[in-house]
Amino acid sequence: MLAGLASAQGYVDAVRSRGELVISTDATYPPFEVVKGDRIVGFDVDVGTEIARELGVKVRWINQEWAGVLGSLESGKADLVMAGVTITEERKKKGYLYSQPYFLSGQVIVRRKGDSRIEEPGDLKDKTVSVQAETTGQFAVDRIGVPKERQLRFDQIQDGLMDLRNGKSDACVGDLPTVQALIREGYPELELAGPVFVKENLGIVAWKSHPELISHVNRALDRMMVDGRYAAFYKKWFDETLTADIVGELDRQESAGSPVPEVSDSPAPSTSTAEPVRSGSAFTFRWDLLGEALPLLLRGAGLTLQLTFLSLVFGITGGLALALTRISALPILKPLAVAYVEAVRGTPLLMQIYVIYFVLPVIGIGLSPFVAGVLALSLNAAAYSSEIFRAGIESIDAGQMEAARSLGMGHGMAMRWVILPQTVRRVLPPLTNEGVALLKDSSLVSVVALAELMRVGKQLATDAGSPTTIYLTVAVIYLAMTLPLTWLVRRLEARMGTGGRR
Amino acid sequence: MSTLLQIQDLHKRFGDNEVLKGIDLSVGEGEVVALIGASGSGKSTLLRCINGLEEPTRGSILYRGEKVTPQNLNEVRRHIGMVFQRFNLFPHLTALGNVTLAPLKVLGRQRADVENEARELLADVHLSDKANAYPSELSGGQQQRVAIARALALRPSIILFDEPTSALDPELVGEVLEVMRELAGSGMTMIVATHEIGFAREVASHVIFLDGGRILEDGRPAEVLAAPREARTREFLARVLRG
Repeated sequence: MLAGLASAQGYVDAVRSRGELVISTDATYPPFEVVKGDRIVGFDVDVGTEIARELGVKVRWINQEWAGVLGSLESGKADLVMAGVTITEERKKKGYLYSQPYFLSGQVIVRRKGDSRIEEPGDLKDKTVSVQAETTGQFAVDRIGVPKERQLRFDQIQDGLMDLRNGKSDACVGDLPTVQALIREGYPELELAGPVFVKENLGIVAWKSHPELISHVNRALDRMMVDGRYAAFYKKWFDETLTADIVGELDRQESAGSPVPEVSDSPAPSTSTAEPVRSGSAFTFRWDLLGEALPLLLRGAGLTLQLTFLSLVFGITGGLALALTRISALPILKPLAVAYVEAVRGTPLLMQIYVIYFVLPVIGIGLSPFVAGVLALSLNAAAYSSEIFRAGIESIDAGQMEAARSLGMGHGMAMRWVILPQTVRRVLPPLTNEGVALLKDSSLVSVVALAELMRVGKQLATDAGSPTTIYLTVAVIYLAMTLPLTWLVRRLEARMGTGGRR
Repeated sequence: MSTLLQIQDLHKRFGDNEVLKGIDLSVGEGEVVALIGASGSGKSTLLRCINGLEEPTRGSILYRGEKVTPQNLNEVRRHIGMVFQRFNLFPHLTALGNVTLAPLKVLGRQRADVENEARELLADVHLSDKANAYPSELSGGQQQRVAIARALALRPSIILFDEPTSALDPELVGEVLEVMRELAGSGMTMIVATHEIGFAREVASHVIFLDGGRILEDGRPAEVLAAPREARTREFLARVLRG
């Protein structure tokens, strides 16, 4: 809806007649923006509110995951992004306009207290480092030369710090003010290792077609700098007095053109350097993006398949065992199996993944992201498939078991040779559905920094400039994985169906 | 004639409903016992108790003088075959597969031997040409004959028949009774719950009339079927023969 207004003459007039300025953010980033109670508060929020006031309108905040924040500009869902966004040349090329720098930030290394192995960026080269995915923190770690396999990329910087505290990563790299605030609030076990090693300027972002809006933002920032509002917010949120030095550095950095150490977004940034400014709406399919994105997406799909396959094997085996226990008369195991199935089915998978990865280390069980992902998905699949098996077994006529028993077979033997062969045929369709569901649910393990398909898609969509292209491609890849699965089992059923009809 | 099976003071209760109220019965080798009685008189329950498909509430069952317990039940079952009203063939296996399953898995015998014997058994029930057919491809009468061959595969001493022709279309009853008649002629010990009075009269060595969970009359077919002592027996026979 906002996109339609964008093309009209005078975008700022359009904002004014609408009466509100829409700003997108990811409120997991103290002290810039964080949710307190039912409100979003922080440095960005105060500055943003003042900018709206300067424009003579109200402000409305959209709080969403970082992966979708920048995309909301192109799609017209938001006018501005204020999310502690670092100014980079890469992002400029993708069509984002930046305000003048409004905050000098930088990347710092966090370590467990007293861990003397971690002193400076060079020490990270052979360590496992957690970061927030697709942030300048990740780019800085890329640039240090930490290989991808040893980077744990989380959706939120907090998860990276938790991972470090749990001892799974050796260090975490993130923006100084945010990391500092988070450590102060809840991570007494962690400390900063050394000063800022990459200086960065933060800017307010708009889509490329709205330069008029950016100049209004710049004028508003100037006025706030002069009349002391900016200094007041600075003191309030960073617990430091704004000195002339800081302001001077901010100015100097800006006037120097591009003094901030350039951080490359991707291992091969040269490919996009010569690209012309992109045009077209967010809803055009951009084939040119596919060349870069497709290999990465396919690698993600490979991981998705691995996760799904292993979890299905373990899950179905476990599910069968659970089902047999549930229909048995075993004294302790049976109620345990019932409780397990109900507990798993009654809680969200996302929470189970969190517990397995982030909470188990507290009692000394630290699992790698992949193992934790497979474990969580397997335990989940076991609970659901056990119900499928149970229903399947119970649907077999009681006369079958009686006939088998009357022939001298024990319960187990009758199950193995009479009941289960008939059950398998009946449960294949619902088990396939479970497999398809599992394949899709495997996207949830991205929270433990596994770069499966959905995660890779989100990361690419954050910065690619055309979320539509990326997400459509992701959808097609998912379909390409699920459709053959459905087809295969249909064939299998048809083949088995030629024998043993009832 | 040695006693194969002895039933002593057998009671079976389902909740408040006492289905068997003290059954005493002894079956000798080579005997064919016909169990007759109205639906609900306890015929099926008695057979199912003998085979351990139902646990008796009270009383005992002795096979060759030895009490049947949960511990030796599976062993005893190898010697007591059962044929069900609804056949209960294994739908995922061919006729041959149905007959060979128990000898292969329960006795662990060689496949070649077992299959040869199974083919002979299928020939005995006049189904040589159906060895590779699945149950769904067979008529009810053919399925029941496969079920009889399956029960014979463990070379049991006794076979229990639980109303083996009740689920069949009338024109298919004859072929099953024919096989049972031949089986009785070969000296097999059988206990047959049935409504086929003609079959009982012709084949049984012994007819038992069950009424309300008790044995009301017990004797040779000529006695029980031709000259019943009890009014209940006469009523039942009149009803069955008319129908």
